[in-house]
Amino acid sequence: MRIHTYEKLWLAGSFVLIVGFIVTVTYGSVGLGIDMIGEEADGVSPDEISSDERFSEPRVEQVGENEYEVYVVAMTFIFQPDPIEVPANSEVTFYVTSRDVIHGFEVPGTNINSMAIPGQVAELTVEFDEPGTYGVICNEYCGPQHHTMEGSLVVTPEWEFSQTELEVDAPESVAQGDEIDLTATVSNGLLETHESTVNVTIGSQTTEQSITVDGESSENVSVTVDSDELGPGEHDWTVSVDDQEESGTITVGNETDTTESVPASVGTETVSVTMNPADPTRASRGVGYP
Amino acid sequence: MTRLFVDEYPGQARLVRAAFLNSFVALAIGATFGLIQAFHRTDIYRFLPSPDYYTVLTGHGVFLVISFVIFFLVGLFHWAITDSLGQRPSRAWLSWGWYGLMSLGTLIIAASILGGFMEEPPEVLGAPLSADVLFTFYAPLQANPLFYLGLIVFFAGTWLAGADWFRTWLTWKGEHPGKRIPLPAFMVLTTMIMWYLGSIGVIVSLVAFLVPWSFEVIPGVNPLLTRTLFWFFGHMVVYFWVLPAYLLWYNVLPTLSGGRLFSDPLARVVFILFVLLSTPVGIHHQYMDPGIAEGFKFVAMTNTMFLLLPSLLTAFTVVASMEHGARQRGGAGTFGWIRALPWKDPAFTGMALAGAVFAFGGFTGIVNAGMNINYLVHNTLWIPGHIHTQVGTATALSLMAGSYWLVPQLTGNRLVGRRIALFQVVTWFLGIVFMTNAMYRSGLFGVPRRTAEPQYSFEYDVGIGSMGELNAQIALGGTLLFVATVLFLGVMLLTVLNRDSEPLVDGTIPPALSGPEDSPRILDNLKLWAAIAIVLLVLAYALPLASVIQGGGLHGQDIRPYPVVLVDAVQHAGTILGVPIH
Ligand code: HEM
Ligand SMILES: [Cu+2]
Ligand SMILES: [Cu+2]
Repeated sequence: MRIHTYEKLWLAGSFVLIVGFIVTVTYGSVGLGIDMIGEEADGVSPDEISSDERFSEPRVEQVGENEYEVYVVAMTFIFQPDPIEVPANSEVTFYVTSRDVIHGFEVPGTNINSMAIPGQVAELTVEFDEPGTYGVICNEYCGPQHHTMEGSLVVTPEWEFSQTELEVDAPESVAQGDEIDLTATVSNGLLETHESTVNVTIGSQTTEQSITVDGESSENVSVTVDSDELGPGEHDWTVSVDDQEESGTITVGNETDTTESVPASVGTETVSVTMNPADPTRASRGVGYP
Repeated sequence: MTRLFVDEYPGQARLVRAAFLNSFVALAIGATFGLIQAFHRTDIYRFLPSPDYYTVLTGHGVFLVISFVIFFLVGLFHWAITDSLGQRPSRAWLSWGWYGLMSLGTLIIAASILGGFMEEPPEVLGAPLSADVLFTFYAPLQANPLFYLGLIVFFAGTWLAGADWFRTWLTWKGEHPGKRIPLPAFMVLTTMIMWYLGSIGVIVSLVAFLVPWSFEVIPGVNPLLTRTLFWFFGHMVVYFWVLPAYLLWYNVLPTLSGGRLFSDPLARVVFILFVLLSTPVGIHHQYMDPGIAEGFKFVAMTNTMFLLLPSLLTAFTVVASMEHGARQRGGAGTFGWIRALPWKDPAFTGMALAGAVFAFGGFTGIVNAGMNINYLVHNTLWIPGHIHTQVGTATALSLMAGSYWLVPQLTGNRLVGRRIALFQVVTWFLGIVFMTNAMYRSGLFGVPRRTAEPQYSFEYDVGIGSMGELNAQIALGGTLLFVATVLFLGVMLLTVLNRDSEPLVDGTIPPALSGPEDSPRILDNLKLWAAIAIVLLVLAYALPLASVIQGGGLHGQDIRPYPVVLVDAVQHAGTILGVPIH
């Protein structure tokens, strides 16, 4: 076959270029460790999602020091969880699946980008160095309201990050003269011990209590108030810790028959910190129960 | 003395004209839809409810890349086979048969898509007449069965067209023993081998899965399997779209430049490389898919990079041929010859600009192909940027430019409005520069494609420029493209009506500088190349397909269909999609 000299040179140049591209991409994979989404994660069919231990509760979970896993379920036309909250300076692995049709999972401004295919689970790991707020969007057409499918991703400063959950157990009504017992169960979803402050307000009375909760466990904080001090009528209460808040109303009445509620977290191993305004040693940091 | 195709083969000219007519009608609708999209998604002007955007987008994709391009392709190929072999097809019914099937298929598909605009689409075959599934029709989004059936009829037509051309060639071969296949015919035949092999994927997906599923014969589909079968076809088809432009660049452009093709052997090598490599790369469209091992993606990546070779070779041959032509016309100097090219000829200028845009778009394709870089651009507006430089210009503009040269030969009428035509190709070029520039840039900071309202509650990190400026460029570019389309169609219409005239073109294609005799005969052994292509296909796809089936089952697991009937009310969406939101 007769090939012109220039053509031969061009051909050689082309080969160099092609091999150069392949080497570059390979370097990205092997040298820089940019993994492709593959088939490592086991699939889950849409009907099994509700009973799947990874996806039944879409969430962020700490799995090691500065290491987190996020289980995301995409469905028409939302993402769960929303917002996704992770700390800065962490390595986060996303597991993404779909409950119905094919969706996309993209975080503009980052290189987070994957398909969410029903039956399959996409796994991708990214590092977050800086705090920031991002949008999460579906970039694959998924139906008539596809363009509304949006979530958010919040990277909080490390020291502000918590995975605290709050459950409060308080009576709805008490008879005049009885004690009001309010118990807040604070659980820490992180692996590390978490320190925080619980704020409790009942009527006009406020107190706060520092607590230390071990990793993956919970603590109870109890507050006891004499209903006489509040007087008859409805009283609002609020309990807050980290970014969690619970509130409700207690009616102080004249009748004696009150419904005592059962402690919420029966199963959790708890160390109860009783904070009794009558006991000055315990209400050490309290802000004024009279 | 001008030599006119229509005088020599009036029957064939009629068929080619009919195919072009279908093609141009599709172009008119598709371009109108494109204009609507350009204004809607940028929020510059919206007159349709956003759910209808997806009906428009489905139409845009299907009418342009299926109907416009492929009808033009079959017309062009029919001309090329007949003209280069000097041989009429043996059976007129066969030729009109494939044209009829393709037309029927297109009508069925169009009805199913356009039904989606109705408030309450009628029930057809047990489902509402609607197919808002975009041109990729990823299950479990479900279209009306007619959509899938229409596609099957259309594909059947294209297969029959290939059979027609192979028959013509076999007859010719019998009468010309030992002769080399003329280059245009060689290109047609190799392209069709590629089409036969690559379209198997989507045909299996349609026949074995989507149609039975849409009639509820099988309980479900494996979405990753039908998707993989689509992309088995999906990269081959992009070459199927581009190869008619290549045919024009190799055969017509050198003539228009005033010279001859530089190398016939290399042109053959290029087309053989497409036969071999264009299908075993489809997985590069699935880099972001879970359920496909990284190793398969890596193989697809390397194959894709090697697929650059035929395009790089084409760049060389085409530019060398143009230079040769320019020097024949008295051009001189290292680059000075460029000025001697026939820039006033719309056919030449259109193809040359299309080639330039293609070269640029090729580099953006390398970014797409670059596996890990793909994270940055996957499903962003960057991709439509790439689509419009490649099929939307390299192909579309070459086809329009080619029409300026070919349609007079098919009608026997002189081209009307040469200067308008010249203005038209330049307008298209400017339009594409504005629109794709903005699309590429928007994609880089994450603006998604296929989205009616890509305006969210967060702000994009635009970097240089502003979102407003980018949107304005998309709208401006889209408008220029639309104007160019109208001008093109106007020139075509006037030319067809321009009965009492003599064309100025000469359809003779001079032989290449380095002819087929400079290449080994084995290049013409089509059976051999087809066999190697099949082996490569099996190597590239057997394992990934097996693993996809093993992973998700042949019919998927608990995958419910989601018929897409786009209604405007938000509350409807939930019920129609039947989504359990927990
Ligand atoms: C009048 C000229 C045109 C305009 C204004 C236009 C505009 C657009 C726009 C704005 C999009 C992006 C839609 C989105 O992702 O939300 C798009 C997508 C697309 N266009 Fe065009 N376009 C034009 C011509 C063409 C031509 C000539 C072709 C091919 C021959 C083409 C093929 C496509 C394809 C394949 C897509 C992707 C469809 C999808 O994502 O499903 N367009 N076009
Ligand atoms: Cu979506
Ligand atoms: Cu491709």
